[in-house]
Amino acid sequence: MTPVLKTVRLVKIYQDGAVPVPAVRGVDLQVEPGEFVAIMGPSGSGKSTLVHMLGGLDTRTSGEIWLDDHRVDTLSESAWALLRRKKIGFVFQFFNLVANMTVGDNVELPALLAGASPKVARERRESLLGALNLGERADAAPAQLSGGEQQRVALARALANQPSVLLADEPTGNLDSRNTRDVLRLLGDVHKEGQTIVMVTHDARVASLADRVVSLFDGEIADDGRIARRRTGTVGEVIDLR
Amino acid sequence: MSATLAGTRWVRADLRARKGQAVLTVLAVAGIVAALITAATLLEDGTNPWRGLFAETDGAHVWLYTDGSPQAALGAIDGVTATAGPYRSVPVTVAQDGRKEPAALRAMPATPPAVAHPVVAEGRWLDPAQPDGVVVERSFASALALRVGAPFTIIALSGERHTLYVRGIADTADQGFYPEWTPGLAYVLPPMLDRIEPGRSEWVTGLRLADPDASQVVSQRVVVMLEDELQRVYTWREVRAAMELDNRLLGTMLALFGVVGLVAAALALANAAGGRVLGQLRDLATLKSMGFTRGQVALLLLVEHGALGLLGVALGALAGWGVMAAVLGATSVAPAPVLLIVAGTAVVVLAAVGLPAWRGSRTPPIPAAPAVPPRGHLSRLARLALLVRLPPALVLGTRDAFTRRTPAFLTAFGLAVPMMMITIGLGVWATLDNFLSHPEQVGQHASLYVRPAKLEPAAAERIAGQDKDVAEIYPGADVNALAPGEARSVRVRAIGASTKPYPFPVVEGRMYGRPGEAVAGQGLLDLLGLRIGDRVRLTVGGSPLIVRIVGRTVEPDLDGEVLSVGLDSLAAKDSVPPEFYALALKPGADPAEVRGRLLADSAEGLDVQAVVNPADRLAIIRVVIVALIAVLALIGLANLLTASALGLRDHAFDLAVLKAMGLTPRQVMATLVTGTGLLVVLGVGAGAAVGASVVKGLIDLQGDTSGVGAGIGRAPSPLTLAVAVVVAVGTALAVALIPARRAARAQVPVTSR
Repeated sequence: MTPVLKTVRLVKIYQDGAVPVPAVRGVDLQVEPGEFVAIMGPSGSGKSTLVHMLGGLDTRTSGEIWLDDHRVDTLSESAWALLRRKKIGFVFQFFNLVANMTVGDNVELPALLAGASPKVARERRESLLGALNLGERADAAPAQLSGGEQQRVALARALANQPSVLLADEPTGNLDSRNTRDVLRLLGDVHKEGQTIVMVTHDARVASLADRVVSLFDGEIADDGRIARRRTGTVGEVIDLR
Repeated sequence: MSATLAGTRWVRADLRARKGQAVLTVLAVAGIVAALITAATLLEDGTNPWRGLFAETDGAHVWLYTDGSPQAALGAIDGVTATAGPYRSVPVTVAQDGRKEPAALRAMPATPPAVAHPVVAEGRWLDPAQPDGVVVERSFASALALRVGAPFTIIALSGERHTLYVRGIADTADQGFYPEWTPGLAYVLPPMLDRIEPGRSEWVTGLRLADPDASQVVSQRVVVMLEDELQRVYTWREVRAAMELDNRLLGTMLALFGVVGLVAAALALANAAGGRVLGQLRDLATLKSMGFTRGQVALLLLVEHGALGLLGVALGALAGWGVMAAVLGATSVAPAPVLLIVAGTAVVVLAAVGLPAWRGSRTPPIPAAPAVPPRGHLSRLARLALLVRLPPALVLGTRDAFTRRTPAFLTAFGLAVPMMMITIGLGVWATLDNFLSHPEQVGQHASLYVRPAKLEPAAAERIAGQDKDVAEIYPGADVNALAPGEARSVRVRAIGASTKPYPFPVVEGRMYGRPGEAVAGQGLLDLLGLRIGDRVRLTVGGSPLIVRIVGRTVEPDLDGEVLSVGLDSLAAKDSVPPEFYALALKPGADPAEVRGRLLADSAEGLDVQAVVNPADRLAIIRVVIVALIAVLALIGLANLLTASALGLRDHAFDLAVLKAMGLTPRQVMATLVTGTGLLVVLGVGAGAAVGASVVKGLIDLQGDTSGVGAGIGRAPSPLTLAVAVVVAVGTALAVALIPARRAARAQVPVTSR
């Protein structure tokens, strides 16, 4: 089976000041279809940089990135943008809903961008928000929603185009435990439906939800292991261990 | 296509979220465009009334005078769409208040024709029921001080007197204004004209053309067709030229204000769009992370902000056109300047929002990093301020003002430009005031000109000399001289004796001191390519006039193409007796009163004319200045609101911290107001300073190119300038105070951004 996402000796060096700062130093990573990978590490270990590079938000210094068997690290910024519309969904720590737009418009935006008709986009938005129990909040402004609700909307937005891979950068980093649980349950649900997920977190308990945990340290993979556990366990139980 | 749909959603949502700002942007742009169109139209109408009159009267392009009724088929000439007349016309003399003025009495039917029909401004058109009625052309009527109902006495060529009554006063584009264009024009019914002058007459025919530019060709055809029958022919160009005021000063003023106003508007727009984009960087990054390309983001912003500007342009054009059409009539608005203004502003608007749009599109697509204002540091100045124990709010505000260098610069610059223009406007105002209060500085030392109409020159001089308010009498004569190498004549004005010269305002060189020396206006120097010290040889009525130019005067008449000499420099045939006497009055004397007295003393035997101050002719400039100051203030306001909104956005978080640190709401408010106020003071101060320092030079430059010559410019008085600066700064602070007050009172939670 070909991996959804593959990196070959991926390197990122920031050249901001006089001294080059390496953030990612030769990462080889393969993500199989349907896999849920958590990327862990202390702050400054390069995990956010890595996931940004995987989504084309940041450029790589050297190395290769392959998405669905196509080399993508050589793409231009515009080509990356076009690619993101269909193949990559992003969830950020601070939700990043467009503040001026309603919840409904926020979710419809990627679908419209990917070429769906307004009618299709609306149907997709209704089913997504319905599934996330946010059906009635479609006309609300993002600011009227709680953090957990905002993150669920962000998730709906990221999934609007059924992307090949969902990239999540500390999706629970800004949430309380109850909302964390809700969001993680959702992630678990979409994963069960076959969604490939790459999630950055520094929280081991959140990471334990994944199939596989990749530990980064100083920009290099320090550990890459599958989590063996009962598949019957639910996210709720994991969190309740607190 | 897909991005269009998605982009539309975003633009719509964004506009909905900032209705107020969007409306202000639209209004500011609309205001500028409307003001530009209004000003252009007013100037056009005020300085070139021909176009409006021509359209109103469906005027004829070519006018021809023939001995008899023309027998050729003039209407059949290629390009002629209609003819007016031929009308019979008789030269007469109008006797009015002791003056005798030449006039042409034209026979017109009781039903005005379709082409070249005079438009009655007062009273009524000719009526067969009142055969002794006459309709007088408006400028002629006002020169003779005729009202509707007044008697109109004419002396026919036979010497016979007839008294008609003015039934109406009408506008026409058939000929130029009286007295620049003589004879004056009056209309009577054909039977009346036959009674007044059964014999000698000429016939006038007007031709309306499909293409005004063909008038030259058509008039040549007419010359060929009519041959000996034709007496003279003129076209609309001559009429227009005769009606035109020297509008170069106005035109330059308007262009200067317009261009700088546009620059200021562009700055305001760029500032507003830039501020908005800066506040939206995070949303833009989110859009990019969703798959908007760089180009699409740029286009999105360009469309959103550009559409606001273009909407403003459209509204402004509509409003300006509407107001002008309502006030002056639909035909008064010249399409060319309006189109130029609309196109120009549209281009400027798009260019102004282009940069912020481009900058917005360059945002990296990582939305996790919210836009943080760059860390400001306490400058040496701020440290010094703290050291001398200035209030902390002042110091913090000062620091805030310069946290973002580019917007700070744009804000200060955006206020400086309108302020500079306001200062220049005030300078022009002061210059006009100076014309009025010191007419001698524009060559109008004498305020009355007396021509010995019915009297002997010596008697005229005696009567003038006896008046108690007359300080000085300068005998003078105006002659036309042929200039070497120029197929045209220039005016030579001889006043006073060379040894006791008329006090011309000499700004370069010196006054003439003996016969054979002369001073000239800038226009003449430019025309003949002369410099001070040069010798020039002119021909006056066949006899040579050789003078050395020893100085340059400020010369408001005839585009400065005037040579001034002492009367004794002219040959005796031209200077004896003097053609007129220029009377300088004692300070405080009222020229109108003196004029009345002189007329009474001479039993109306003198022709006494008061000089027209150039400031009176340029009065429309004042209207333009007021309108432009209003628009410039609006632009400044828009800039200010942007600055204040950006300041608040940058500091919303700091405010909570400041409060937590123990600043009172009043201090917080002071901090915010200082932040904006400092930029205001800088901008307004710099603008006023630059304006004050360039205004004199600019007006002089304008004077130089228009022939008047340098030396007329005046800066606004220090008091006026101070008041303007204080009003500007005060208004700005008051405007900045409102949002600052609200922000200082709002409960801002200390949360992460």
